[in-house]
Amino acid sequence: MPKEYKTPMLDELEKGPWPSFVKEIKLAAKNSPMSNDLLGLLERSYNERIGHWKHGGIVGVMGYGGGVIGRYVDVPEDFPNISHFHTIRINQPSGWFYTSDALRTLCNIWEKRGSGLTNMHGSTGDIVFLGTKTDELEPIFSELTEAGFDLGGSGSDVRTPSCCVGPGRCEWACYDTLKLCYDITMRYQDELHRPAFPYKWKFKMSGCPNDCVASIARADISIIGTWKDDIRVDAEEIKNYDKAGMDIFNDVVLNCPAKCMKYDAKAKAIEINNDDCRHCMHCINAMPKALRPGTDTGAVVLIGSKAPIVEGALLSSVLIPFINLDDEDEREDFFDLIEEIQDVWCEEGKARERVGEFIQRVGMGNFLEAIGVEPIPEMVAYPRDNPYVFYEDYYDDEEEDE
Amino acid sequence: MALTVEQIADEMYKQVEEAAQVKKKLKPGDLTKTMIKLHEDEGVDKKMCKAAIRELVNNGRCVYTYFGGSFIEIPHKEGASND
Amino acid sequence: MPGAMQERLTDIGPPNFEEFLPPVIKKNYGQWKYHEIPQKGVMVHVAESGDKIYSVRVGSPRLISIDTIRFYAEVADKYCDGYLRFTSRHNVEFLTTVEENVEKIKKEMEAYGNPVGGTGPGITSIVHTQGWVHCHSAATDASGIVKAVMDDLSEYFTSKDLPAKCRIALACCLNMCGAVHCSDIAILGVHRKPPTIDHNNVNKLCEIPSVSASCPTAAIRPSTVDGKPSVEVIQENCMFCANCYTVCPAMPLNDPEMDGVSIWVGGKVSNARSAPKFSKLAIPYLPNTPPRWPEVTEAVRTIVEVWADNARPYERIGEWIDRVGWPRFFKLTGFEFQKEHIDDFKHAGLSFNRTAQLTR
Repeated sequence: MPKEYKTPMLDELEKGPWPSFVKEIKLAAKNSPMSNDLLGLLERSYNERIGHWKHGGIVGVMGYGGGVIGRYVDVPEDFPNISHFHTIRINQPSGWFYTSDALRTLCNIWEKRGSGLTNMHGSTGDIVFLGTKTDELEPIFSELTEAGFDLGGSGSDVRTPSCCVGPGRCEWACYDTLKLCYDITMRYQDELHRPAFPYKWKFKMSGCPNDCVASIARADISIIGTWKDDIRVDAEEIKNYDKAGMDIFNDVVLNCPAKCMKYDAKAKAIEINNDDCRHCMHCINAMPKALRPGTDTGAVVLIGSKAPIVEGALLSSVLIPFINLDDEDEREDFFDLIEEIQDVWCEEGKARERVGEFIQRVGMGNFLEAIGVEPIPEMVAYPRDNPYVFYEDYYDDEEEDE
Repeated sequence: MALTVEQIADEMYKQVEEAAQVKKKLKPGDLTKTMIKLHEDEGVDKKMCKAAIRELVNNGRCVYTYFGGSFIEIPHKEGASND
Repeated sequence: MPGAMQERLTDIGPPNFEEFLPPVIKKNYGQWKYHEIPQKGVMVHVAESGDKIYSVRVGSPRLISIDTIRFYAEVADKYCDGYLRFTSRHNVEFLTTVEENVEKIKKEMEAYGNPVGGTGPGITSIVHTQGWVHCHSAATDASGIVKAVMDDLSEYFTSKDLPAKCRIALACCLNMCGAVHCSDIAILGVHRKPPTIDHNNVNKLCEIPSVSASCPTAAIRPSTVDGKPSVEVIQENCMFCANCYTVCPAMPLNDPEMDGVSIWVGGKVSNARSAPKFSKLAIPYLPNTPPRWPEVTEAVRTIVEVWADNARPYERIGEWIDRVGWPRFFKLTGFEFQKEHIDDFKHAGLSFNRTAQLTR
């Protein structure tokens, strides 16, 4: 008979309109002594206002260095069923599309071999199985493999790539995010499962500058869709938005950061100076039936974003202003460049130094030189405003020989 | 004399073992860099080092560990374990 | 089991997403023309071919049991030929070509206690981390605060519109597994006490040079304590990032009295209108007050309401503050401006107000 925990604190969180995680833990606790102990432990944390977990650092599946994160409770005598409570990260399908059968298969494995609790999904994008014992790791891995699933990344490796819904269900997708995400994931299987980098490496793919997977804030390589030709305009639909009561001048035109739109209030017509357009998406977001991205589409590639640890948060900055990802040659050049960047970073990067921090330390100019990319004005918000320049070419090659 | 992947793996294993004695943990990148530095003339490159690490881990002589970053270590009981 | 390894199948990668796409998506892949939001939580995407797909977006607690996943699967079977997806903010989306199914899905999900909403200008699910449920370095719980905040703001998920999208995120420590640092409102767990050093175990469990090197302010030095190799921390240089604890378990920072929550505002990741930007500090510290963290829910509600009352349409929180200025933000919210609000880490000077342009 499993122990019955009194949980007055947690019970408070079963009330209210938002779906309750406490209800979820209780559902899982009906069948799982692990989840039952988790409930007791969490109530204790709520009373004591402190966590009770220890970070493991060695358990995993044979041959892989990522995908499992060891966890142990620090009061195993009180909660013996969660003495081990390891997390498993499972690589999600691109765009988080599922069939009901695929979900049931995952549930059946997890019912038999773990706590029955999950995250759908973890922040990086993986399916997260929360809590199992060391002995179950290998069987889970083989059953997942059987079902066509594999583990995701953790530690100093390529983390599980993720992408927005893209051409699957969005008219703004400027390239095939779902396919690129899948292709990159398959291409980097070895780097994803066998950590060999100074620190983590994230690829994230958004189909347009709305950046629904927050790639610019957290990916080492952010691939954000954009277009080169003119915004497509349906003049009739603009009139319909006006008829429906939209304040086109104030809400659309005045919000354009490039001030590249003119509105003829009489004719209910928009004129766009596409040369000045910054491809920010605002006007398109506001009037999706009237305005659409152009048809000459591709992506901007940016590099280096990360959360604060260790040296402070960074946003990604422009590396390639435009790439046509449908073009075989451009794609291969892109992958070659990524390999070059990873080589330089592996060679010179310090432990726990993300590539963005590495660039900060060595200087973007030096970094570009090392990876063989020419500096271009698109890479900076503005040129340097301090005169402490490390001039290098102050003598000719001939003089050097003397 | 070109080194085989097995020979590289054996030498890497020794490095991991020695490092452990002074409580030092090595990353795969450390092992690769050291091996190339020592044996570049004998044909050792990144690809071979990668294969050697895979060999070490696949046959269970070494494991990946991940406390504060990813490392290659001799299998051991972990600090946090309650066993 | 060295032998077994050889025959083992590895590196198969995730299932190919194409296996999971509904037929209407396969047929109209990359050929979508526009979308509309007929009601909050429901989107209809129309393809060049004229085909339509309805998506019903449903809020979830993210931490879900297999019972609930099986329920989702059942609903998908009933109304969506078995197809569904999840979003980058932990919502579930049921995908159907049959318009009549929209209300049926909505009814089933609401009866189960999962609200339909989260589209358009308003609040969608809170991206968050593990907290006390599963993390060793959590300075606060994640799921509990999220539940309390969303209970308080659920009307903005299900029915009421706001001037623009408002993206809320929570990370239970500075590691920011949720990368919350570019959110309209970020709730961030913070430690405020330097690590307690377990001198008996530092040398046993950790590599001392790596521990010293892990500190961004170089506050950790090797030292010998009672004859044992260990480290010392220059207390006044510690800014409580817990990076040392990530590298060395013998240096915990968790403390019930000192841990708590900070609130950040005005970040965004979208490029629409203004460039992506970081969230800025609004409240340096609120205590951990489980189970419902009333100080936190009140602070978040204050920010949302002050913004809703004062912003123009389409203006995200950060864009509104950029227009009216930070003095106005602090005046309207009533939050106290303190020493902690002024940056003193690298490049701090860039955040000083270097202009005479001030509002009254």
